[in-house]
Amino acid sequence: MRPAPIALTCGEPAGIGPELAAKAWAELGAALPFFLIGDPAHLPARTPVVEISDPSEALRAVAKGLPVLPHPFDGPAEPGVPQPAHARGVIDVIAHAVDLVQAGEASAVCTGPINKKALKDGADFAYPGHTEYLAALAGVDRVVMMLACDQLKVVPATIHIPVAEVPAALTRALLYDTFRITHEALIRDFGVESPRIAVAGLNPHAGEGGSIGHEELDTLVPVVEALKAEGMGLLGPLSADTMFHAAARSRYDAAVAMYHDQALIPIKTLDFSGGVNVTLGLPFIRTSPDHGTAFDLAGQGRADATSLIEALKMADRMAHARAAAAG
Amino acid sequence: MTDRTEELPTLAVAMGDPGGISPELTARLVDLPEARDEARLVVIGDRRVFDEGARIAGIAPELPTVGDMETALATDGNVFVDLGHLDPATVTRGTAEKAGGDFACRNFREALLLAHAGKVDGICFTPFNKQAMRYSFPGYDDEIRFVADVTGFNGKIREFNVLEKIWNARVTSHVPLKEVSDNLSEDKILAEVDLTVRCLRRAGIDRPRIAVAGLNPHAGDGGSFGTEEIEIIEPAVARAKERAETEDFEIEGPYPSDTVFLRALKEDYHAVLTMYHDQGQIAMKMMGFDKGVTMMGGLPYPLCTPAHGTAYDIAGKGIADVGATREALRLAIRMARTARQAA
Repeated sequence: MRPAPIALTCGEPAGIGPELAAKAWAELGAALPFFLIGDPAHLPARTPVVEISDPSEALRAVAKGLPVLPHPFDGPAEPGVPQPAHARGVIDVIAHAVDLVQAGEASAVCTGPINKKALKDGADFAYPGHTEYLAALAGVDRVVMMLACDQLKVVPATIHIPVAEVPAALTRALLYDTFRITHEALIRDFGVESPRIAVAGLNPHAGEGGSIGHEELDTLVPVVEALKAEGMGLLGPLSADTMFHAAARSRYDAAVAMYHDQALIPIKTLDFSGGVNVTLGLPFIRTSPDHGTAFDLAGQGRADATSLIEALKMADRMAHARAAAAG
Repeated sequence: MTDRTEELPTLAVAMGDPGGISPELTARLVDLPEARDEARLVVIGDRRVFDEGARIAGIAPELPTVGDMETALATDGNVFVDLGHLDPATVTRGTAEKAGGDFACRNFREALLLAHAGKVDGICFTPFNKQAMRYSFPGYDDEIRFVADVTGFNGKIREFNVLEKIWNARVTSHVPLKEVSDNLSEDKILAEVDLTVRCLRRAGIDRPRIAVAGLNPHAGDGGSFGTEEIEIIEPAVARAKERAETEDFEIEGPYPSDTVFLRALKEDYHAVLTMYHDQGQIAMKMMGFDKGVTMMGGLPYPLCTPAHGTAYDIAGKGIADVGATREALRLAIRMARTARQAA
């Protein structure tokens, strides 16, 4: 059975989100049914919009135009200039998408880019970003970010913190959760029966037996060994510099990196666009493109929809895998 | 004295670990056209090990044997110095052994002493196994430490990773990630820039262009994810730029480290200066650094080796690729020539 359509949130109307939605529909058409939640008036002129009143209508509407589940905003969008009056709408669209995916009316959520400052200024948005808001809506404490392209899936255990703070942030609890969430997602959302997860060391040469740093011996190895004893397929800790070339990548399904650039350097070297962002650990599927609102580009029709298209494709693949796993 | 720039540079070639692919690589190296036409090689090892390598490689390079260094240096053309210190029949292929470490340490030591005394213009060596080196020489930390121990050279020696299109220099190397931040300073970055400029020049690049990586995610994103960029790296780059005006090089940065190598390739930089080990090594290895060269910069003479290891898994099969070793030889030749012209 075909999974329900994917819910795409409009994101910040002053950014490139709405125009990218139109481009993604033009590219994907009926092959990948998704619907936009947002204000049809924010879409570029001459976008073939099909307004729907229920997500299930998207499956048929998508052949004729971009299906839009209307969420009226207070006034038109001005490219590059976020309106404080729009902040509430941006936040509500995300919550609406979560309601639909939780109810099974959408198979996944793909989020258009938001501007945190605009949401904070306009509606006292208290979350550092999408991910934390989604986790709160779903009632989960820990989620992890995965970056995925065709050749590599990689999860940074820590993200936007200074390098100097990484070692202290790598607690056993964080590592346990990161490995477990990654392992379960590979089974449920990526169709991997017995996941093999490569674990990067923190230090050069993965610490070389304690001679270049102790975090491997003190923290990583005990966690890895305990989870291996439970039957989880972990490899490592491995020397980060030799685990990302083609032959090494063939030995695992996903890699867990210890810090931002340990994950971002390999993925960007393979795929300059940085691949697709996938949030793991939510009860539903969520993907997003790897770029921001690009206020400087908005409204010109020049923005590149590749990353959004890849994010929609990834959400679709994951939805099919999840449907297959559910039998 | 004759005009030395007219002569070919003399390079010592130290045979590496006998349990891996070093013997076959050494034989293939001697058989290369560059080895015959662009340099004079003094190959140091045991002739029996070399011949076994040549047999594995299926070649028979012409290489006269002498028994001591004095004779070798007085001989024209390529020559093998047979130290007679290892019977290949006793070597277990694919294993790190003390005997192999003794062999490689001795060859390397002889080569270093020649270079230190100014009797050769540079050194190439085929891969060592670090464990075997440690069995033989318990204080063996890495090549840099060994060079300092053997020659007493007390200047700064730094490892450079060299690919055809890009070099990587790093401010910190084998230190725990936790200590990287404390190990950064403006002066250290400037010293690294200075050495990188000198080494690139010696390799024949007249106007070196260097891209500097930040330390933190998104190069700190204006101080949101760390302040080392603002407090240390940016001021260091600003000071380096002042020097660059009079010293004819270019430097830019700090750039986010997840794209600094892609930028460097696209914008024709010659080198990327990274703040820590894996920041450079991940990208370099993905870009094919196993085919690249490791060069120890800062010594009065070039010291080059292929970046890959002893490849115990394919030792003796005759399939080892001489490509990286050839690049190591070419770089050593280029740097030795420039040094001579400058002398």
